[in-house]
Amino acid sequence: MTAFDIVTSGFLISALRSATPLTFALVGETLTQRTGVINLGLEGQLLVGAMCAYAMTAAWGNPWLGLVAGAIAGMALSAVHAALVVGTRANQFASGLAVWMLGFGLSAYYGSSLVGRKIESFESIVPKSVADLPVLGSVIAGLTPTVVLAVLIVPVSALWLWRTRTGLRWRAVGESPEDARAAGANPSLIRIQAILLGGLLSGLGGAALSVDYTRTWAEGMSAGRGLVAVGLVIVARWNPWWTFPAALLFGGAEALSLRLQTADANVSAHLLHCLPYVASLAILTLTYVRGRVSSAPAGLRAVMDR
Amino acid sequence: MKLRNMLRSLVATVAIAAAGASSAQTIGYIYVGPEKDYGYNTSHDLGRQFVEKSIAGTKTLHVENIPETAEVSRVMERMIKSGASIVFATSYGYLDYAIELGKKYPKVAFMHAGGLKLGDNVGTYWANSDDAIYLGGMAAGAVSKSGKLGFIAAFPIPQVVRSINAFTLGAQAVNPKVTTTVVWTGGWLDPAKEAEAANSLIDAGVDVIGEQVDSPITIAQTAEKRGIYVVGKDVDVAKFAPKAVLTGASWNWGPTMVKVVKEIQAGTWKPSHIRGDLKDGTVVLDPFGPAVTDTVRKSILARKADILADKFEVWSGPLTRQNGAEILPAGKAMPMEMLESMDFFVKGVIGTVK
Repeated sequence: MTAFDIVTSGFLISALRSATPLTFALVGETLTQRTGVINLGLEGQLLVGAMCAYAMTAAWGNPWLGLVAGAIAGMALSAVHAALVVGTRANQFASGLAVWMLGFGLSAYYGSSLVGRKIESFESIVPKSVADLPVLGSVIAGLTPTVVLAVLIVPVSALWLWRTRTGLRWRAVGESPEDARAAGANPSLIRIQAILLGGLLSGLGGAALSVDYTRTWAEGMSAGRGLVAVGLVIVARWNPWWTFPAALLFGGAEALSLRLQTADANVSAHLLHCLPYVASLAILTLTYVRGRVSSAPAGLRAVMDR
Repeated sequence: MKLRNMLRSLVATVAIAAAGASSAQTIGYIYVGPEKDYGYNTSHDLGRQFVEKSIAGTKTLHVENIPETAEVSRVMERMIKSGASIVFATSYGYLDYAIELGKKYPKVAFMHAGGLKLGDNVGTYWANSDDAIYLGGMAAGAVSKSGKLGFIAAFPIPQVVRSINAFTLGAQAVNPKVTTTVVWTGGWLDPAKEAEAANSLIDAGVDVIGEQVDSPITIAQTAEKRGIYVVGKDVDVAKFAPKAVLTGASWNWGPTMVKVVKEIQAGTWKPSHIRGDLKDGTVVLDPFGPAVTDTVRKSILARKADILADKFEVWSGPLTRQNGAEILPAGKAMPMEMLESMDFFVKGVIGTVK
């Protein structure tokens, strides 16, 4: 097996697996930010999602129940952000940080008895024999339900945001809440919905991380992926269509940094670990150099300038 | 991060206050990570529980998730004010804070894990797990069909580099042709990366994985799922991956801690560097998993007996570097400085230390 084979064999599916939890969180945060709200609490929502999903799966033996529990838990935690930001007009950054810490603490406390529990989880959705197919065989054979769900959620959310009346209303609120109100929309209600939807999706991302991807619960296991998702929203230029390439870029770079080591690439591991961040920064710089800087919702700028 | 630290110190204050009244027999424990990580911190917490069980009338306080910052001084001071007369600072980066605080509280005894500095009332304890990891490597070398081993580790520091080399040397003692491919994850705890690193190694044909991250649990469970094997470290996780775990090198801090505490209480304690190993039982070779055959078990146990009887030394020549250059000629033992600052891989390891 050559170095090239080792990198390519299973690389695509490994990139997809890495990108899956990130995609859920990223799509959710993109939709939230489209209405003019930033939620830094994503990291905490991922953690409670992961913890609750793992607990549910361990207790009932059904990973689907786990996904549902994770989604609900993420949404419940994001309700704190909604209440603070929309209800009391609290500073969005402070509120997001509070949600992050709350999620970290709650998941650590209630998750401590789950460490080391074993769960039965998803199997590949296609028969094993598919793996022998040339080129894409290993990718198709490695597909689990959460990977497929992550891939599907991208076009659904994009079409919904760009092609439906409610999507239009959400975008309008993000551009200018005043104008949206004048046009008959209720900005507060829409922002609450957007925060809760973001919470639901990030909870689902956490569930994918613990129940499907690692089949482990560990305190703080999201290891910064929530913050990365907040950053990748900019790389994806607040466009749900671009969330998947952005998540795949990051997940792919992460998978590559590990695979290059198994292929004896003889590159310093410290440099390899920078790869996902360097790649994201490079894309960000490239797209901004090419202009169209103003893809951020105008309402979001009000948050930044305040 | 500031906020996170504040939250932690709040939790720590409550935990210490809840533990309540002062007593000459109160002992404080501080962990850098979760006490239930099923890894390094759990091993120290098992030691704490052993102390509480073994010495009647002893009460322990423990606080988890304390970063290696000035925060640890504050936690130690609060413990002392709550009556702790002995403090176990269990993480490497706590050393300078323990030394500093030792000057301020001369009547309190401090025990630090792994440090190389002493104070008038600051001692250290640590144990050398190389022998046990070498024996685990023998199991790996014997069980591997592909001759390709993997090792998933957090950071290229000497303690970890030693483990990787010891693992490889043990495996080569059984099958001289084996190689160990190293994957660094760049973090002590990142289950997603650990799982992905394991998957990458397995895809590349590796069929036994050694590890040195915070806890072996994710890697062991990934190995169990993919039908390959692991050699663990810090805490035995065989019950979570019964087929995959071959054996492991676990800590057994309890007896050392009890001995020190008894000495301190009797007034005979003098600060020193206490160093344990496989011989004195501070490091334990975990029970073998079902994949290790009787013949292999016998040869590993025979080698273990040789180590215990000082008839075999892991770090002795001939040893060669990755590129074939000589490290030690045949029959020569490795000098202490070289061992403690190890920054090279032996022949058969695939990867970079940089």
